[in-house]
Amino acid sequence: MTYVEYKQLNPFQKFAYKFKTFFKNLPRAVGRFFKGIGKAIVKFFVAIARGFKNYGTTFVKGDWATKLSYIIFGVGDLHKGKIYKGLIFFAAEVLYILYMIFFGWQYISKFGTLGTVATTYVKKGISKVPVYGDNSMLILLYSVLTIVITIAVFAMYIANIKDAYKHQVMRENGKKPTSMIYDMREFLDGKYHITLLSFPVLMICVFNILPLIFMILIAFTNYDKAHMPPANLFTWVGFDNFAALFDIVNTPKKAHTFLSLTGWTLLWAVLATFTNYILGMIVALMINKKGIKLKALWRTLFVITIAVPQFVSLLLMNQMLATDGAVNVLLTEISHLFGNTTQIEIDFLGKSEVLARTTIVIVNCWVGIPYTILSMSGILMNIPADLYESATIDGASPFKTFTAITLPYMIFVTTPQLITSFVGNINNFNVIYLLSKGGPSTEEFYQAGKTDILVTWLFTLSMTSQDYGLAAAIGILVFIVCATISLIIYNNSKSMKDEEAFS
Amino acid sequence: MKKILAILLAAMMTATAFAGCGEGGSGSGSGSGSGDNSGSDTSSSDSTADDDSADALVDETGYWVDPSAFGEENNITLKVWAPDKAVSLVKEQIDAFQKHYSDITFKSIDVVAQGEGDAATQLLNDPETAADVFSFASDQLNKLVNAGVISEVAFLNTVSGANDPKTVEAGTVDGALYAYPETNDNGYYLVYDNTVVTADQAKTLEGVLEACKAAGKKFIFDCGNGYYSCTFAFTAGVEIDGLETVGDEQKQKFTDYDPDKAVETLMAFSALMKQYKGTWTSLDVAKIASGFTTATLGAGVDGSWNTVPDQEALGDKFGAAKLPTINVNGEDKQLKSMFGYKYIGVNGSSKFPNAAQILALYLAGEECQTQRAANLGWGPSNLKSQQDKAVTDSAVLKAIQEQSANACAQVNIADTFWSPMGNLGTKLFADDTDPTDKAYFTKLLEETIKNIRDEA
Amino acid sequence: MIKSYKFRRGLANGVIYFILGLMGIIWVCPFAYLLMHSFRAEATVGVPYLIPKQWTFQNYIDLFMSSGNASINFPRWFLNTLLVAAVSCVISTISVLAVSYTFSRLRFGARKKLMNIAMILGMFPGFMTMIAIYYLLKAMGLNQNLIALMICYSSGAGMGFQISKGFFDTIPRALDEAATIDGATKNRIFWSIILPMSKPIIVYTVLTSFIGPWCDFILAKIIMGDARELYTVAIGLQSMISAEFINDYYKQFLAGAVLVAVPITLLFLKMQKYYVAGVTAGGVKG
Repeated sequence: MTYVEYKQLNPFQKFAYKFKTFFKNLPRAVGRFFKGIGKAIVKFFVAIARGFKNYGTTFVKGDWATKLSYIIFGVGDLHKGKIYKGLIFFAAEVLYILYMIFFGWQYISKFGTLGTVATTYVKKGISKVPVYGDNSMLILLYSVLTIVITIAVFAMYIANIKDAYKHQVMRENGKKPTSMIYDMREFLDGKYHITLLSFPVLMICVFNILPLIFMILIAFTNYDKAHMPPANLFTWVGFDNFAALFDIVNTPKKAHTFLSLTGWTLLWAVLATFTNYILGMIVALMINKKGIKLKALWRTLFVITIAVPQFVSLLLMNQMLATDGAVNVLLTEISHLFGNTTQIEIDFLGKSEVLARTTIVIVNCWVGIPYTILSMSGILMNIPADLYESATIDGASPFKTFTAITLPYMIFVTTPQLITSFVGNINNFNVIYLLSKGGPSTEEFYQAGKTDILVTWLFTLSMTSQDYGLAAAIGILVFIVCATISLIIYNNSKSMKDEEAFS
Repeated sequence: MKKILAILLAAMMTATAFAGCGEGGSGSGSGSGSGDNSGSDTSSSDSTADDDSADALVDETGYWVDPSAFGEENNITLKVWAPDKAVSLVKEQIDAFQKHYSDITFKSIDVVAQGEGDAATQLLNDPETAADVFSFASDQLNKLVNAGVISEVAFLNTVSGANDPKTVEAGTVDGALYAYPETNDNGYYLVYDNTVVTADQAKTLEGVLEACKAAGKKFIFDCGNGYYSCTFAFTAGVEIDGLETVGDEQKQKFTDYDPDKAVETLMAFSALMKQYKGTWTSLDVAKIASGFTTATLGAGVDGSWNTVPDQEALGDKFGAAKLPTINVNGEDKQLKSMFGYKYIGVNGSSKFPNAAQILALYLAGEECQTQRAANLGWGPSNLKSQQDKAVTDSAVLKAIQEQSANACAQVNIADTFWSPMGNLGTKLFADDTDPTDKAYFTKLLEETIKNIRDEA
Repeated sequence: MIKSYKFRRGLANGVIYFILGLMGIIWVCPFAYLLMHSFRAEATVGVPYLIPKQWTFQNYIDLFMSSGNASINFPRWFLNTLLVAAVSCVISTISVLAVSYTFSRLRFGARKKLMNIAMILGMFPGFMTMIAIYYLLKAMGLNQNLIALMICYSSGAGMGFQISKGFFDTIPRALDEAATIDGATKNRIFWSIILPMSKPIIVYTVLTSFIGPWCDFILAKIIMGDARELYTVAIGLQSMISAEFINDYYKQFLAGAVLVAVPITLLFLKMQKYYVAGVTAGGVKG
């Protein structure tokens, strides 16, 4: 379709067209995504090569102060009168060296083996006490910390050289370096993003990225119950943990569990996302329908589930769904009205796979629909009226308008939300763990039950059976799936949305 | 590049923060042997002569020691973990402890509430902030010894002589005693309403169920929890027998059993559950006391720690007995349960190892055990305390003791034991299980054992 | 004709009222059950009927009077949580607003990459990272300390910028441009133009980050360990229904759950309008 043709369509048709192309383009987008990753890797190495080249040429062209900056941070800046920056660079180097001497080196030097000194026992007075050798876990953790800091300092080192050379060139051209006050002011305007981002990024680096690297590395070690610090060492084992998840010959049960749970995790994520989404939308439509009164009351009723902490409401649900719980009591009392005399004792969560899974999806609706209602209510009111007008002119019935406009529109504008909630459901620990603890149990799986999803299995593995390495490997696989899905869809839906129709 | 500068700056600041605490961290990480030459030799494991010397310091009570045992330790700070219900009693006992050793300066001895069930988990999270002296349940011993966070008992001969041999044996790993026996009562038994079930009926499972059914009341036995449902396997002859090392992993060992007979017993259990469907309910033991209060329950298999609420709920109607028997092909088989002990352990990272050992010896000694038996109803492991009137008069402790003769010790249990066992019970109980399908039960038992041994 | 149309509409509305009413009951029932049984006097854990037979305030009184007990100190837990929630929601809100303003308004080389990284970082299942976080905090001397919780709950806040970025995107850029021409710095634009227009999203962010600490029962437990007086309500309540405590504290657990739920619910109802406005604006453009 040409641009002119597209422009002549009415908004309704335009919308339908875009909706179609979005899904038609998905496979290509996937291809583009992986090609993009490849390109990024190539770019990365090119940049490093260029960095080395600049590193050399700058040294050749530099004056004595610039050259000295290659060893002592900040000398170039100090020499050129950029005092405060020079001091910061210098302080960074001093602190780094102190850090390495007093803390970093003893860990990073053992990073390759994760420790070799075994624990021994000595008599100390009347008691025999352990003298702990190397603690592999702390070696790994503080090595990661040291590596992150080293990378940061290295970047600073490069910045120091660049800055020294920049000021050398400026002096050669007869320019003076900018004053500290000018620079500070620049941080409130031109470089404002640095000011705003530094604190959040620092927090994320220390408390999210660093532990994450730690966890990723754990997946390549044999950290498990047989290798528990502090008295035992663990070490690198390459891809053994990943192999255990796929090796149907040597570890058939683990592999079977992994594959089955992956299937259920994906099914669960799809079911949970779409039931919430569609049912929530229907309720939102009903609440927002013209002529329905007490809108605030209806909304309020649903909002309570959001406000009550999930561990309370889910634990409550768990107890109400027990064989002697409120739900069965209620069912019994209702059945008494119809002449039943026995007690009803349905085991919603502990017996049949299908029943337990269905129950969890339904309870998840109870938890999740209110969120959808809240976010949908606002969006519904924002659907452009001309969409409906053109549909009415085309003679569409109310049902047709719904399936052809409202639904696609909502899906379209809320794609990012959908992805977030899809990924959120893949990682939805609370609902499964608090509600069924993974049950009903089965002898077919390794340390997992029929409603366990990958994250709850991961939790059991790390908390109960201390298979940390295996758990970390699962974590990485879950992450790769989630990240790929969301990057592809998110980036594509965005580029779609940046076009004019719905902006 | 420059835009990352600010981030780096900030990162450096963090680095400083770490460098600041670096000395403390490194000190505790690698150099905890700094003050270890306090006069004794640094010999390795088999130093019986030294153990004798520690035992020689103990006086005739069996729990007080000569103050020289503290060595050079002074200004002592200790932390003790005890379960919530015992905290105030343990505090009193510690006051007595400090009074006795008036020559030693105690800066502080804190008692912190920490359940015995997850003491090991807490300790393994971070041994350095954990308690120096802690109570724990016997099944965690292996985990603690494996990770090397628990110290050997210094007063080996004293402790082994004073306590029930079974508790000593269960606290021993590879020939070394790792913990001070504290109780000999950690198990479950039959609690019943004696207006519903007579003492005679309580002898057989069929009798209990029939009595409950006749009264329109329920019987609670938690089949979904491996701690209780292992009874089915044990009764069937599939008993645990410590751990064995295969490669670098420790796996659960089982005694030899006759698969045919084992399966028959499981089928008998399952058949009984089906026969008394609606009477036999599989619920958490927490529901038992509540069930007695609301008079909906006739009997239940409950843990020793729930005795007080059960007694409150039943009053005069309280009845206690060892687990009943089950009839398998005409033969009455005694139900075999899981039976554990509670221990007091000493943290390997303790800064005051001698003081911690001495305190543990006292807290696990005769006087303290007798006090706990009288005040809390805990069944003692100390042989002298076992003769105390509070113990011999207790129907509950008697039931527990009788049951302990028909039980597997809750020690050396693999982490992978519980959930497959729970699954076994769930499957026996499940409505859609056919109790006559022998092939199914054979397969179920096989798979359960495979899962426990992590052999798949 | 008109009459039948009216009739049909009335019928449709009637059906809708019926469905909404039914769903409303289903949604509220569990909480009504919770509320009723928190006033139950008889029995301990569960009862085989829906409505308690005897009513009492004792569970609530015990909850506050048991603070002398070594293990259960609900008033203290409540204050801890309140403190942690208040501080971490201030830090979180500042982080979120700073990050989302940056990504919405400022243009710089690594913007897109950083946005993508931030989006996927939160997708890592975090259980394994908790040991690492614990030892990092310990290295800083912050384990068993409420400050540690404040840091943990607000550290990742910057990654949740999507919704408020979406909101900022809806504020016309012409405003910024006009201000720039008048000589305002980016800093001034942020504080005096964007923020005053962002009440809904600020309330939304404050609200969501305030609720977080009331719900977490895993990380907080690892950080606090045996320091029971430093527990938050979530771990405290969770521990009240562990095997050790459940027979004594179950009804108090119910009362505690009500006491946690009520303030948050009231807060939520009061702020609902802003929450909707925030999530709507942010969601559409996010």
